[in-house]
Amino acid sequence: MTIKIAVIQFPGSNCDLDTLYVLNNVISNGIEAELIWHNHFKEAQFDGVVLPGGFSFGDYLRSGIIAAHSPALDEARIMLKGGKPIIGICNGFQILAEAQFLPGALLRNDSLKFICKWVNIKVENNKTAFTSKMNIGDVLAIPIAHGEGRYYTDKLKELEENNQIVFRYSTENGELTEQANPNGSLESIAGVCNLEQNCLGLMPHPERASEPILSPKQTMHGRLFFESMVEFIKRRVS
Amino acid sequence: MPKVISNGDELDVDLTQPEIKQIKDLLERDPTITEWGMFDVMHSEHCSYKSSRPKLKLFEDAEKNYDYVLAGPGQDAGVIDIGDGFALAFRIESHNHPSAIEPYHGAATGIGGIIRDILCMGVRPIALLDPLRFGPLKGNPHSQWLFKYVVKGIADYGNCTGIPTIGGEVEFDKSFESNCLVNVACIGLGTIEDFEHAPSKAYNPGDYVILMGGSTGRDGIHGVTFASRTLTEMSEADRPAVQIGDPFTKKLIIEATIEAVKTGYVRGLKDLGGGGLSCALSELTGDGGTGGDIDMSKIFTREPGMNSFEIMLSESQERMAFIVKPEGLETVLEVFRKFEMAHAVIGRTDDSKVLKVKDGNSLVVNLPATALSDAPTIPREEKRPEYLDKLIAQQTPEPKKDLEEIMYDLIASENICSKEWVYRQYDHEVGVRSVVKCGDGDSGVLRIIGTNKFLAASVGINSKHCYLNPYEGTKGGLVEICGNVIANGAKPMAMVNCCNFGNPEIPESFWYFSHAVKGMADFCTQLRIPIIGGNVSFYNEDEVNKTAIKPTPVIMIVGIIEGKENVITLPFKKTEHDILLLGETKAELGGSEYHSVIYDLEGGTPPHVDEKKIKANWNFLFELYNNNLVKANHDVNKGGLIITIAEMCFKNNLGVDLDFNECYDDNLRDDEFLFSESVGRFIIETQPKDYNKIMEIAKNLKVNVKKIGFLIANPEIHIKGLKGKDVKLDVNKMKKLYEVTIPNLMEI
Repeated sequence: MTIKIAVIQFPGSNCDLDTLYVLNNVISNGIEAELIWHNHFKEAQFDGVVLPGGFSFGDYLRSGIIAAHSPALDEARIMLKGGKPIIGICNGFQILAEAQFLPGALLRNDSLKFICKWVNIKVENNKTAFTSKMNIGDVLAIPIAHGEGRYYTDKLKELEENNQIVFRYSTENGELTEQANPNGSLESIAGVCNLEQNCLGLMPHPERASEPILSPKQTMHGRLFFESMVEFIKRRVS
Repeated sequence: MPKVISNGDELDVDLTQPEIKQIKDLLERDPTITEWGMFDVMHSEHCSYKSSRPKLKLFEDAEKNYDYVLAGPGQDAGVIDIGDGFALAFRIESHNHPSAIEPYHGAATGIGGIIRDILCMGVRPIALLDPLRFGPLKGNPHSQWLFKYVVKGIADYGNCTGIPTIGGEVEFDKSFESNCLVNVACIGLGTIEDFEHAPSKAYNPGDYVILMGGSTGRDGIHGVTFASRTLTEMSEADRPAVQIGDPFTKKLIIEATIEAVKTGYVRGLKDLGGGGLSCALSELTGDGGTGGDIDMSKIFTREPGMNSFEIMLSESQERMAFIVKPEGLETVLEVFRKFEMAHAVIGRTDDSKVLKVKDGNSLVVNLPATALSDAPTIPREEKRPEYLDKLIAQQTPEPKKDLEEIMYDLIASENICSKEWVYRQYDHEVGVRSVVKCGDGDSGVLRIIGTNKFLAASVGINSKHCYLNPYEGTKGGLVEICGNVIANGAKPMAMVNCCNFGNPEIPESFWYFSHAVKGMADFCTQLRIPIIGGNVSFYNEDEVNKTAIKPTPVIMIVGIIEGKENVITLPFKKTEHDILLLGETKAELGGSEYHSVIYDLEGGTPPHVDEKKIKANWNFLFELYNNNLVKANHDVNKGGLIITIAEMCFKNNLGVDLDFNECYDDNLRDDEFLFSESVGRFIIETQPKDYNKIMEIAKNLKVNVKKIGFLIANPEIHIKGLKGKDVKLDVNKMKKLYEVTIPNLMEI
């Protein structure tokens, strides 16, 4: 079967081409990914959607706030209700949080600076549409690149009870330390999902961690996200 | 400053009296006030290169002499053919004056400008590199302020446009205290076809002229003439001449331009930078041998009531001029509509060879298209500064400190310490091309998707060496920057430069420029490296303190690595591997970090370049690469041998056991040997089993390579075989000192 994935292009998206490249050329596996200009997006034509990283509308006001009001998000809302998978990476996560697909908010990094570096994240939930190929406790090597990635929520307890915390920043050995938390996120949270677990948002960039040649330790942990998505879609359809 | 008058309007111009007369003679009338403004801008040093052009003739003709050079100096960017149907474009430019006054927007719009230069070659910008220079940070809030906001300006702009910043360089020196240097470089990648679709000229009469992108406002008016003067106490009042950037719009311009070029209907392309519309329109028509008929009322402005003078001279950012085939007009406009980019058809080209701009019924500009770009050159006097002999004669004092202490001081010094504080703020991964991570190599390395090739790029210069001897210092800079890409496994393909100097009207300042240019010309001709572009920034001189910056002819080299197995990185890999030193070490401590950090001395004998030996060393390295014999490589740079070795130990927390017995030289003191900055040297990690083979290659190529030690698991550097006592250094302590210097100064 062909799996149709939309990579939504907001005017200031800048990881759109990278994500497209990884889906079509690195993962492939039946995927047919397409770049879709944000107000041309029609959910019925796709099995899944990626909101890529970037600066959607310049993000001078607050990251993701304007994109959250794009018609693309209305379509995505229908998609979500229908149980299709949606992943927001970096700016995509900020948009999903602003659009209240996901709980919480992304605040300015505690250093008040943009940070680009490879970090480690620990898998806390492998039941989501994007983590089924991972094991709980796995540590993934993956890069971040953001100025506003400090996760905050006033519903921490609820998130914990509902198993919505999917990733936490950790050391290479999976310890949660202050030093391993690059931006001051609450409880080291790097990614969260919705109650139904078909929508994931995370600050790190799986598309930059999908090929050994790009990874400091020749890993390709980023692939697991997209491979899990393929598995999820195949299971859903059959 | 002379004053010109036209129709009752007055204008102060930077033109000389002979230039004013020449313009009137050419036109056989008094120019309009708008035309005066245009001449003033286009004849400024920044646009016309009137002082530098006679010297730049020393460079060999890159397009003629190198078959893979597609575009050489004089174009918006140099372009080379790298095979497999791909073209690489690159250029480096200065944005010094605006950044010294308004660091954030000055630096940001510098990035904006260089991106447009690459874009208008028809290719996608894929990498940025930024060599920066400031006064020392310690105890200097002004330098800290400039440094902080220049880096933030670059980060905010570059990150938003989705172009990774993959390299750069930072130098701190008193001479840059009031004149910081912000140089920006960009690399673009496209197909040969993309490049062929976008010449920077309008050669066909009847084509449409389209202005696309940001609106034209009152910002940046006369930015160029401002960059062609020295900074004074009054310069704060020039702040309105600094443009404001909008990286979000820039991102859209990039996408819209690339898509428009791909339609095949674009026949010419030019960005609007210094000199605004005046510059773009006159160069497009002048270089294309056509004329143009422009309707000013079609130009969309940011505010009502702007007059023709303001519109023609505005340097508002984020604008591109397209020359479009008549049959493709609708297709191209459709692309701009899709990206919701403001645009307007502002006129058409014709065969009149005259550039005409109409404001309603009045003709505000009516000039021969080439009149503006044919600025006269001005011969400048040059004179070797008298203070140089005394400076060069300075002797290295007898060290009062232990060698250990000196090395700890050096590794923590501002010029040597880690620049992680800077590159963490830059997105260096976007684009999924970055193969060698920041800090892991001497250059930035990107894969070229669709080929088995990689590009390596590096920028820099040692201004302290150039200050003592601009000719040798510039050649040394070339050795060093080529060395950076070679250390990563690349063959240097082409060079562009950014010459930052003082006031060319001062003979001593011009002497520095002249000798730096000669150094570039001589070295590049001998080593067969085409010079495919350059930028000259004069007037980096502080009028209040009467000081010029140290001469800073920044070099940028782009090289190509063939095959993934040939990508070499800097960190030491494995214990028991051999450490080799390639190249000769001489008593060359002039302008060294050792002199400046330990003795606060600027003088001494700077490194000398022997092109034949450099060439042999490079060939030797390529021979080793061909045989897959190199595990790590780092060129020896600021601080000398031990600093280089320490930097290689950090990543994998290894140590080394060094014995310099084989390098023993009666004529060298220990400190001269250890801290010399002799150029063209490399520290190489190899496997013990390959030793004999490597020495055989060395013998054949007649290069000076010696085994100086081996890697150990214990993170310590042991040094034996010196004239004085043995030395032992703690790698972890060095690493800590290396890492904390800048955060400690900046995070307060």
